[in-house]
Amino acid sequence: MSARVHRIGLYGGLALILLIVIFPFWWMVDTSLKHPVDIFGGVTLYPHNPTGDNYSRLFDTYHFGSYLVNSIVVVTISVVVSMTLGTLAAYSLARFPLRFGLNQSALVGSLIVRMIPGILLVIPLYITLARWGLLNTRLGLILIYTGLNTSFVIWMMQSFIAEIPRDIEEAAMVDGDSRLSALWRVVIPLAAPGLAATAIFSVIATYNDFLIALSLTSTPKAQTVPVGVSTLIGKIQIEFGPMAAAGVIGAIPIIIFALLVQRHFVRGLTLGAVK
Amino acid sequence: MAETATVQPRRARRVRLPAGPYLLLLPAAVALAGVSLYPLFYGVRASVTRYLYGRDYGYTGLDNYRHAFDDPFFRDALWTTAKFVVCTVTIETLLGLGLALLVSRELRFSGPIRVGLILPMTIAPVVVGVMWRLIYDSGVGVTDPLFQALGLSAPAMLSHNGTAFIAVVVVDVWEWTPLIFLILLAGLQSLPQEPLEAALVDGAGRVRLFFDHTLPLLTPVLLVAIVLRTIDSIGTFDQIYVLTKGGPGTATRLVSIHAYNTAFLFTQYGMAAAMLLAVLAAVALLMVVAVRMMRRAAR
Amino acid sequence: MTKRGDTNLGPDGYTRRQVMRGALAGGAALSLGGLAAACGGGSSSSSGGGGSGGGAGGGSIRIGSFADPAMVPFRDDFLPKFKDDTGITANYSETNYDAWYQNSKTDGLQKSGGYDIYVMDDNWVPEFAAGGIVQSLDQLGLKVNPDILEKGLDQGYWPPKTGPRLKDFANATPELFALVIIDDVQMLYYNKDYFSSPPATWDDVYNVAKTKSNPPKLYGWSPRGVAGNPIVQTYLPLLNAYGGNFANDDWSPGFNGPEGIAALERLFSFIPYMPSSIADYDTTEETALLLQGHCTALTEYTGTAHAVDDPQQSKVVDKIDFAATPKQEISGPAIGTFICGIASGAKNVDGAVKFLEWFTSDAVQKDFAGGGSAAVTGSALRDPTLGSKYRWLPAIADAVDNSIPKPRTPDEPKMEDLLGTALNQALVEAISKKSGYTDIAKSHLNTAAQQISDYLAQQGTY
Repeated sequence: MSARVHRIGLYGGLALILLIVIFPFWWMVDTSLKHPVDIFGGVTLYPHNPTGDNYSRLFDTYHFGSYLVNSIVVVTISVVVSMTLGTLAAYSLARFPLRFGLNQSALVGSLIVRMIPGILLVIPLYITLARWGLLNTRLGLILIYTGLNTSFVIWMMQSFIAEIPRDIEEAAMVDGDSRLSALWRVVIPLAAPGLAATAIFSVIATYNDFLIALSLTSTPKAQTVPVGVSTLIGKIQIEFGPMAAAGVIGAIPIIIFALLVQRHFVRGLTLGAVK
Repeated sequence: MAETATVQPRRARRVRLPAGPYLLLLPAAVALAGVSLYPLFYGVRASVTRYLYGRDYGYTGLDNYRHAFDDPFFRDALWTTAKFVVCTVTIETLLGLGLALLVSRELRFSGPIRVGLILPMTIAPVVVGVMWRLIYDSGVGVTDPLFQALGLSAPAMLSHNGTAFIAVVVVDVWEWTPLIFLILLAGLQSLPQEPLEAALVDGAGRVRLFFDHTLPLLTPVLLVAIVLRTIDSIGTFDQIYVLTKGGPGTATRLVSIHAYNTAFLFTQYGMAAAMLLAVLAAVALLMVVAVRMMRRAAR
Repeated sequence: MTKRGDTNLGPDGYTRRQVMRGALAGGAALSLGGLAAACGGGSSSSSGGGGSGGGAGGGSIRIGSFADPAMVPFRDDFLPKFKDDTGITANYSETNYDAWYQNSKTDGLQKSGGYDIYVMDDNWVPEFAAGGIVQSLDQLGLKVNPDILEKGLDQGYWPPKTGPRLKDFANATPELFALVIIDDVQMLYYNKDYFSSPPATWDDVYNVAKTKSNPPKLYGWSPRGVAGNPIVQTYLPLLNAYGGNFANDDWSPGFNGPEGIAALERLFSFIPYMPSSIADYDTTEETALLLQGHCTALTEYTGTAHAVDDPQQSKVVDKIDFAATPKQEISGPAIGTFICGIASGAKNVDGAVKFLEWFTSDAVQKDFAGGGSAAVTGSALRDPTLGSKYRWLPAIADAVDNSIPKPRTPDEPKMEDLLGTALNQALVEAISKKSGYTDIAKSHLNTAAQQISDYLAQQGTY
């Protein structure tokens, strides 16, 4: 009996938390379907007079389609490359004792890269990309984001890999695997939850980056979703309707990605296979 | 040959230094250096330059640093940021840990629950700021009517210094607890099961299980999450800028906002660079300490 | 599992060749880009993406701007017209205000030539002109249309024709560095239903607020209260009307004397007739109050004029009228034009000059006003036919003629921030205490005055 009450409490609590978490999101969807005069006309939980105007204006007047494509391309490539580079480096830092105290200093170093405030980055990066003709290009953004992402991929994967006991790889290598193939066949699957978490975080951080994309791009040819959203913040006014629509559309790729990746959080699938 | 290599403890070997581990690091190092060396150099140089009419007007020694620390608004911003970071990271860690523990059990609908819980961090911070503005805003938001419906007086949160600060903390907690939740969930899912199962067999209660077994194993990942979140929290900008622009007064003016205004609004790029580098140095020091702690915890 | 074939095994059981291959493949592109960029080599190339025609005249020009509803007709209607009239293509790009300010400045300082024309906010002019980011239009031989309203035009001169000057420019002759394209100026927006005649003085507005307002259904005044630039915009029409100055001719603060205090007290006097949360109000909230029919009057720039008659944004269609900002001694609205400069590194200077002359010509300006926009010439704004269609146009012209410019210096935003923070805190205090307005006003205004004086002294250029 108490197990049942316990369960109801658990699910009830989770439901309440989910409600609080999702409410602002619902508010955004709600706002995106209202005319400006209704947005300020009073509090309603659903739009009494729904309109698709905000969405159509988003794609026609505000070129949102281009922003979406740019974001998806830039994020995909830079995350894939940075996850590769970063995981390799993290593996090295987690498994090998390195000279010059690199195990610690490399971690701190990569963290410092992450800590550099955007404000300090934008002007020098602008100058750099300008010299190489990479301003307002997707490639320019990809290069920058790859560098920046690698820092926390190293940071995060290092700890996830360290959690995995060495014996498992060593068992595989005794069986004849080279270290790299042990890494690929054994460590990576075990680190799947960590990889998934790191991937989601990388994707979100890159996708939502604002300051850097803002400064390094100037037309829909390369501008990303957050930059597009910010053009809705005028000199003195915010266009709430299209902004809300932008928020909704902008979140969709990330949610899809999260849905695809979240199954890797399930434990047991991976450990069992190795055993 | 291979057999000996795997049986010997790693630390004893000093004979030949394999290049492999260093090669694994190389591409990442190049990427990191490429994106950070010039900006750091440029920032340091700017911090010792006088900016007049928005442009480089020559070397000025440590004047920028001196002016920055003399500036009461900067000191204010440091304090506000410190308060903000401590509040948000603490609350987010506790909440995130709690949620991760809850969800890591065998649950129905765990997939949708997980996705639902990470929803807040999928929305661009700029949009988050705008949406919460629509919630808090006294003229058009739900906050005031909600309080009134509950019989309390309308808080008009964004128009008073104290409540505005609470308001931005709430927004940050809402937005980033999912990240801690995510990282800790992954950490929990990766924990080796035998020690925990053994302890359960030994009759350990859930609380003891957690504190004596789970937490120690989880500590490295926990520290990673805390460090990452702390760093990001210090640099919080987008959502607060949109939500309050640093106001009312300076109640929510974090260092990032003050530096941004100083660099781009007040055309004092050198002073802003000095401010940010000073903060960066302080935080870097903290991080060195944190990494040492992590290494110790991992052993 | 069979061993891998490579005999070149290191002691840890991997092969160097494998590792090197993988690592180099991943790192190659990044090394090149990163290292080269960090070394800063390579020839300078134009940035910005989207070519700018070279050579003398013809071809194309590149215009960059910040996104703003006021620029929509410019972008959508007039750039194509320019091509029809002259054959020159105008490529246009816009981004967020803050980003554009940074990017245009960096482009200008580096002389990258990514743009020919920067659309600027008028308070960028001192910095852009003094810093060599835009070129002197006088020296380029640009012919100024004499019909452009003078006070709008004056915004583009550096050093300023009137008002205090920076020490380094004390004796220089004013030259035109930027040409105004939109006269964005403050006006009084009032709801005809509550005023028997157009309000001319602050007393008129106050009396209606006192007698007709009925909070929370109807308020008597709606200001921007957010700290910094917003609340300063609320304060300036009051300060100017009471005879004060933001900065006196010797750069000393002109707002903490009896005029400035009286002006702030006047704002406080509206507290019973304003929402109590105005310390957090910006343009959106302030105008929403008016457009929803919950407010009798407010002062605002021209940007909201279009919205008043748009049923998708307004519940008071045809009820809002426009007048000069209220007088006390004088009417003194603040002016904040959209203004165009030619980039220091512009590739098609002739095309850019041609564009600016074309856009500010009588015919084009009349066309511009024909869409309800805040044109810059007297003939366009005061045209009777257009005025009957868009009743705010003549009000804009009057407002420009009465306008008082803000102090011309790159430090003006910092001054606004200091004054604005103090004003906001004064407002918060006045709202919570509901009395003692004089002392509150005095103390906060003095604080701001002291901070501004200290900052200007520290800058060393005053």
